[in-house]
Amino acid sequence: MIQSLANWILSFDILSGMGPSVAWGLALFVTSALVFAFVAANAIVLVYFERKVSAFMQVRLGPMRVGKFGTLQTVADALKLIQKEDIIPRSADKALFVIGPWTILVASVVTFAAIPFSDTLLAANMNIGLFYVVSISSIVVLGIVMAGWASNNKWSLYGAMRSAAQIISYEIPVGITLIAVVAVVGSLNLQTIIQAQGGTGNLFHWIPIPLPNWFIFHSPFLFMASFVYLLGATAEINRTPFDIPESESELVAGFMTEYSGLRWALFFLSEYANATLVAFLVSIVFLGGWQSPFSTYHGAQLGTTVLTGFLLLWTLFVKLKANRLSIYPLGLGIILSLSAWMFPGFAIWLSSPGLFWMLMKVGSIIFLLMWFRWTFPRLRVDQLMYVSWKVILPLSLLNLMGVAVWMWLTGEIQF
Amino acid sequence: MGRLHAEEMVLNMGPQHPSTHGVLRLKLRTDGEIVSHIEPVIGYLHRSFEKHAENLEYQMVTPFTGRCDYLAAMGSEHGYAMAVEKLMGIELPERVEYLRVIFAELQRIASHLVAVGTFGLDVGAITPFIYCFRERELILDLFEMASGARLLYNFMWIGGLAHDVPPGFVEKTYEFLDAFEKNVAEYNQILTGNKIFIERTADIGVMTPEVAINYGVTGPPLRASGVNIDIRRTQPYSIYDRFEFDVPLGEGLQGTVGDSWDRYWVRVREMEESAKIVRQALDQLPVEGDVQSAIPKRIRPPQGEIYFRSENPRGELGYYIVSNGKNVPVRVKMRSPAFSNLSVINEIGQGFMISDVIAILGSLDIVLGEIDR
Repeated sequence: MIQSLANWILSFDILSGMGPSVAWGLALFVTSALVFAFVAANAIVLVYFERKVSAFMQVRLGPMRVGKFGTLQTVADALKLIQKEDIIPRSADKALFVIGPWTILVASVVTFAAIPFSDTLLAANMNIGLFYVVSISSIVVLGIVMAGWASNNKWSLYGAMRSAAQIISYEIPVGITLIAVVAVVGSLNLQTIIQAQGGTGNLFHWIPIPLPNWFIFHSPFLFMASFVYLLGATAEINRTPFDIPESESELVAGFMTEYSGLRWALFFLSEYANATLVAFLVSIVFLGGWQSPFSTYHGAQLGTTVLTGFLLLWTLFVKLKANRLSIYPLGLGIILSLSAWMFPGFAIWLSSPGLFWMLMKVGSIIFLLMWFRWTFPRLRVDQLMYVSWKVILPLSLLNLMGVAVWMWLTGEIQF
Repeated sequence: MGRLHAEEMVLNMGPQHPSTHGVLRLKLRTDGEIVSHIEPVIGYLHRSFEKHAENLEYQMVTPFTGRCDYLAAMGSEHGYAMAVEKLMGIELPERVEYLRVIFAELQRIASHLVAVGTFGLDVGAITPFIYCFRERELILDLFEMASGARLLYNFMWIGGLAHDVPPGFVEKTYEFLDAFEKNVAEYNQILTGNKIFIERTADIGVMTPEVAINYGVTGPPLRASGVNIDIRRTQPYSIYDRFEFDVPLGEGLQGTVGDSWDRYWVRVREMEESAKIVRQALDQLPVEGDVQSAIPKRIRPPQGEIYFRSENPRGELGYYIVSNGKNVPVRVKMRSPAFSNLSVINEIGQGFMISDVIAILGSLDIVLGEIDR
């Protein structure tokens, strides 16, 4: 994207005199600004989304006062946080205290450079994209330890230690799970990984249910791997049920206890950036990224109809008695499938890859993460380590071996 | 090679901490995450209830009792009123007795709802708390209807009630019971059977019957240890002998008898039993009767002393009242259940992790207003 932006800048007559390197630098700056703007805007939207989702799950309304349906609430909150007094505790290590949150923010923003939003929209198309994302995102733990240690507060110290232990433990199974996918594709490039998931195939290669060629349906092992990854990644980004580093009811606020105002907002920003990153990775690696679930426009028509059928069954047998609002998904499904049959253009749009599908998948994963957060209690430290080392790590190793054997059996690779 | 030498760290949990249920301070000696000693430091909410009571007339003490256990004000008032009535030998009209039982049991449900909800909050589940408060709100509406107040009522006067219940109260209470009995299933769905919740609470802070009795633990924590003592059943006061209800005991369904999960589960089942009692009391409630007919013109108990105990949501609430025949009591001593329940925390919480201490504290369900008085 940087190169094409630079070319585009140079294509104007007035600007063509600046020379390719200056144009490239300008394009780099614009791209970085766009990525940062995405992360910042994303946090504001997600905080609002999270509050509304939690309100929905807790039979309340959530923010309603600022703006229509409280839409401006998070903007107001952000403004308030920026204006707040900048407090550095007297006994804190000042330099580390200041650097800590910025380290976390930089680590979580920079990862988005390699994330493809659609087949053309990405900042830097790296051939080691996946490796880059995983390695850079683990810098976050450095910032957390810095912040926790520098605060000179026992609760912060506990939070930082827990966080360091947790993130490092969960990186291993998460990395191994991703390696299983890399073994299938043979590339670390995120675009190549997504392109490998186009088209329609059978479930697990043999079972004759036509499904998109996403890696979640590639084999039983990758199916399991996607859940292992989601679990591990939830722990890595410190979200409930693994939010023990900042566990509100135990450690006050964990490593953020002493922070307030803008620095605290930075933690918040990076927390949501990390959640989004995980959602992006799940969609890219297991759910086909920007690929449409329907490969042809007939596929779109049939697919939406089948989906509506499932929704009908769900509404009739599971939900109708519980809540009359549960009719809405069915209504949406009927509208979708009807318009897919009536307007071929709509069906074609549905079956074409693009930003829409990427954001749909990311949104669903983020909703899932929020769903976890507002329904589960929190694990204890030792239980968390147990899950990591004795459950997820063996499972991820099993997945890696299983995928290799599976590919040999299905003839995808020969020895 | 000996064990790695590690220094113990003293950690002050509170007085400002999200899960100390008020202004409690726990001095924890910790070795890493393991807690080796817990010392509760209390007194941050001390309001001299007992000293106040020595300078106020009997009827003026009633509001203060409600302010002690502010989550179960009706229960505290009930106990105090009954103590003074027994000292004076007042016979209450039937309607007053029934209404008092209805309010005390509704209060028990409300109090246990807070206990269950905040316990969920302590182990990290936020949503059940809101669900519990939804039901508690309905009870508070009923209280507001009857007494005009939502938290501190001054409703159970010595010898009667402040007001009779307004028309429509009985119907609304029935409505609440119908909704509540259905909604208990929701808590079980979202919290009781949750695997993580069970992992966090089962086998945590096991209180054996011996420990419980030695420390004077009462109420749900005692019954969770398998000791069948409920004053409503063992020494029925008021009209509790007329109702059919079970006394739920800890059975160790998910772990050991007397663990945190048992204490939670006993509370959930007690709410159902209380709902049963309220239903029976509403069925039998006499329609006629003046709730203020037995209120004495002048409250001057004869010279003497009395100790009266009743079953508050948090345990056995005792009042020791000494009278010298004047209109001001010489001494009012309150035996606070939460105080004894809190004292056991060092015994049952040692060797567990910080997170577990929070869970144990939550399962004991303390109210600092009553501990500090």
